[in-house]
Amino acid sequence: MSEHGSGPVAAAGPALRLSGLTKTFGKPAVERLDLTVRAGEFYALLGPNGAGKTTTLRMVAGLLPADAGEIEIFGVDARRQAIEAKRITAWLPDEPMLYDKLDPLEYLEFVAGLWGVPPEVAQERAVELLHVLGLWEQRFERCEGFSRGMKQKVALAGALIHNPKLLMLDEPLTGLDAAVARQVKDLLVERVRAGAAIVLTTHILEVAERLADRIGIIHHGRLIAEGTLAELRAVAGERHSTLEDVFLELTRPDAVRSEAA
Amino acid sequence: MSLTPKPGSFRWLLAHDLRLSWRRFQGMFGKLRPRTVALIVICALVSFHALAWSFANTLVDMDTEGGGQLYYPALAAGVLFVVPWLISQSLSGATRALYSRGDLDLLLASPLPAHHILGARAIAIAVEAVASVSIFILPLANMLALTRGVHWLALYPSLAAAGLFAAGIGILITLGLFKLVGPRRTRVLSQVLATIVGASFVLGLQVLNVLPHDTREAVVTAIDRSQPGTVFDRNGPLWLPVRAAAGDENALAIWVTLSLVLFVATVLFTGRLFASSVVLSAGESSVSSSRTPRNRAIRFRHSRARALRVKEWRLVARDPWLISQILLQVIYTLPVSVIVWRALGTQSAIAVSVAPAIVVIASQISASLAWLTISSEDAPDFLASAPVTRREVERRKLEAIALPLAMFLALPLIGLAIFSPVAALWTVLFATCAALSTALLNLWHPMPGRRTMVMRRHSQSKIVGMIEHLLSLLWAVAMVLAVLGTAFVVVPILLALMVLWFNRPSAGFRVHTA
Repeated sequence: MSEHGSGPVAAAGPALRLSGLTKTFGKPAVERLDLTVRAGEFYALLGPNGAGKTTTLRMVAGLLPADAGEIEIFGVDARRQAIEAKRITAWLPDEPMLYDKLDPLEYLEFVAGLWGVPPEVAQERAVELLHVLGLWEQRFERCEGFSRGMKQKVALAGALIHNPKLLMLDEPLTGLDAAVARQVKDLLVERVRAGAAIVLTTHILEVAERLADRIGIIHHGRLIAEGTLAELRAVAGERHSTLEDVFLELTRPDAVRSEAA
Repeated sequence: MSLTPKPGSFRWLLAHDLRLSWRRFQGMFGKLRPRTVALIVICALVSFHALAWSFANTLVDMDTEGGGQLYYPALAAGVLFVVPWLISQSLSGATRALYSRGDLDLLLASPLPAHHILGARAIAIAVEAVASVSIFILPLANMLALTRGVHWLALYPSLAAAGLFAAGIGILITLGLFKLVGPRRTRVLSQVLATIVGASFVLGLQVLNVLPHDTREAVVTAIDRSQPGTVFDRNGPLWLPVRAAAGDENALAIWVTLSLVLFVATVLFTGRLFASSVVLSAGESSVSSSRTPRNRAIRFRHSRARALRVKEWRLVARDPWLISQILLQVIYTLPVSVIVWRALGTQSAIAVSVAPAIVVIASQISASLAWLTISSEDAPDFLASAPVTRREVERRKLEAIALPLAMFLALPLIGLAIFSPVAALWTVLFATCAALSTALLNLWHPMPGRRTMVMRRHSQSKIVGMIEHLLSLLWAVAMVLAVLGTAFVVVPILLALMVLWFNRPSAGFRVHTA
């Protein structure tokens, strides 16, 4: 796939740097969050329901204004240069954001238009993505008739068509069957190898365990642990062998309390 | 017999469905508490009784002067309005039951007989349909019973029977369409049909009004004479609901029996079809939805601005129900203006009849399209995550409105230009102003909702609805005054601009949506 869209900023600084990021909805949803993701890194952001994962991603994607803190994407201040930051970013929510009355090709053409990808480049990428994701046969069918998995794949194609440097995926594998999930995972790994950074939230800890270079655990809006699986194991105690054990140990109510104390 | 229905019984199912109907009704009042909603309903009932009292007295006078026969055409008109309306509501209800299934998957997966499930839902559909008109009709029945005689209470069973009749017809049509054209097309067709049937009385009246004078007189005379063997024969089968509503005991018995038989037969014989249709409508996603040529050439060519506009055009063009709703606005409004034109009887009168009507239509269509593109955006978060400013997205959306608006108005404008080119030019100018005004209003005060809510969007904010109508009216008045050549034209123009000024985003006016 040809590289287009984010060249000038690709070399500057870490892929994503959050510093003191804070958001309050009556009570704090995200509190003084510091986080750094490197280019070419697969980062899994884990946490129990309501921990602040989606809120964090929505702030990075520019959908939610932060109350305080800094968001830097490849050296671009996302709070002050939102359009520049969005140009190199893609956000894929858990519920695919599609237009039911458009077919996948029309959708990709629309997304490419929004991100300013030259039509000839966009067309080539669209054809490739539709083939890779197994959507080629359905390219002229309207999305309204698609299953959830197919919609998720169309949305993923949309997220990739402008070749983003930073991909934020909120529960991208929820509801997908094994074959589709495998296709998506392969595609994501390929993007990371190509130098993109991926921040992924998931409740399927196995996915994080297998794909992520580093894992961050967020709880009550705060990053309570971060590192490779081995590092997290060391924090949680050696008797915890799987990520699930580590996660449950670190997010235990009394464990969190003792850390806060 | 216990008042609490046994779980799993038909009464229990019915109570469940009626509770859902009540909740849906409550939902129309936003976050108001049930007690407040009940209070509003009671207040409305009392008010309608007061209005019905004066109307009942007028009807009594008519009856006395006309030797007891004049109220009959009025009653017939009422039935002609109410029965199609009930069928329309039932069509919508049946479609909703099939497609927005909610709990139907659960119910059909349970060991309850399908005809019990359909029966309970069908009664709920009938109750909802009847409730939508009973608030107007039953106060009238009560007041007529007081002033004219208890036989007017026959309106109660007549209306209930009409509800069952309409529910039966509505379900039969919906399931028939389902069998005939498949799940995907049924959804749109039944919605379009519901709209047309619901409006058939108004449309019929307009057709009658547009007819040449002699033809119209002939129709009126035929109704008056009520000759046996014709459709106007008051003793004929077509007039059965009218005779039943008037208190004719035999007619009432036949009407109630006929409706009950139709309803029960529908439920008993279509229970299985209903269940399988629900399953099929759920599996609609597995049906191929290809509507564009399979071998269409792939050619990306859109710039950002064009991509945004083309997306809106595609979404509007691919929604036949939406187009039918917007066209109905034209159908409702234009014949009225033709009537005014005919009544004024001069060539130049077209400028003060048809032209302002086109201005009003332009503003209303523009408002609908603006609401669709702005408030009913399918993927607002996606657009917000794109590297495009909100201002640009909004500008492109407003630009996108212009093309469909021009297409809707092209025919009336060409017609107008044939009779009066000057009036047509003025109309283009004022229609543009009116369309821009209502589009801006919708841009400044978005009321998020699903596309299917386009005609009911003002339920979220009555204030915006009122301002929309006010702007339409002001620009229409300005149009008339401009054609008449009076300097007073500046008054409605200034007023319209003032209304817009006070509604601009920085003016602080906020819409409180439900």
